[in-house]
Amino acid sequence: MKRRSVLLLGLWLGLTFGGVEARGAETVWSGLVIANNAAKPEPASPELTYLEETLRDWFGYNQYKVIGQSRKILVTGSEDWLAQSKYFSLHIDSKSGNDKTGYRVNLKLFQESSLLLEWEAKLSKERPIIVKGPQVGDGQLLLLLVVQ
Amino acid sequence: MKTFEQKWTAWIDGELTGHDLAEFEASLPDPAAAEAEKHDAQKLGTFLKEHLPCRAMGNEEFFNHQLRERIASESAVPEKSSAGGDRVWWPIGRLVWVGATALAMFSAITFFVMRENPATDQSQYLSQILNARVDPVVSPNATITMFESKEDKVTILWVEGLQSLPSEFASK
Repeated sequence: MKRRSVLLLGLWLGLTFGGVEARGAETVWSGLVIANNAAKPEPASPELTYLEETLRDWFGYNQYKVIGQSRKILVTGSEDWLAQSKYFSLHIDSKSGNDKTGYRVNLKLFQESSLLLEWEAKLSKERPIIVKGPQVGDGQLLLLLVVQ
Repeated sequence: MKTFEQKWTAWIDGELTGHDLAEFEASLPDPAAAEAEKHDAQKLGTFLKEHLPCRAMGNEEFFNHQLRERIASESAVPEKSSAGGDRVWWPIGRLVWVGATALAMFSAITFFVMRENPATDQSQYLSQILNARVDPVVSPNATITMFESKEDKVTILWVEGLQSLPSEFASK
């Protein structure tokens, strides 16, 4: 009888706090992407597959290549990390104020050491954030943030 | 005062003695016929005793068992009724167990329902650009526009006018 009660209590606690744990264990993928038109476009990387059509609709290019990326598992919700390529770096700072509706993040795009763009956003799992950056050669730099 | 039939039966059984016996035998109209009848009656009695004895109990054990069962069931009736009275209220342990089970089931159902149901107010679960800025010295002509596409389910920050960069900046 006691063992069964302990088991049930454990099950209840697991179910109650499992959701919180799952919420805390979400992964944010951030990527630096070069969009351009190519005669033989390469297939998009797996992270972009489900967004490729949306990217084509919005930006009109036929090729999307990831030049820098990072995948961060948010445990506390107050973390910072970096996604970088050879010349660009995207600094992401997850701030306090996170709740079930999303993560409050502060982002900075650097071209080497100079700050190009700074913005603050609330990032949710329901909807990725895409940022149109500077023109690079015949293409376009895009920044992507996706909660996986 | 005994009747003739009672005296006759007693005489056949040999229970009449002394004065009664002599008086009865004297009153018989045909002593020889009476004697013959007495002899036949005694013979029949002996025959019946020899050939029709009391029927022996074939299944004594079964009978005893049935008897004990019946006694037990009759004596158990008041005990049963008192036990039924105790069952009206559950013991604390069982109440706790049932309560914990109900709580666990409630939590499980709530968990799955909450997880599967879409948010009632969708907008609060969508990504939002809260603010954005560019360095006016580096990009004086830059403009910033925000889009929230419900069809594509994306939030877009559209920045125009940033300084263009050569293609070598596209390298990994």
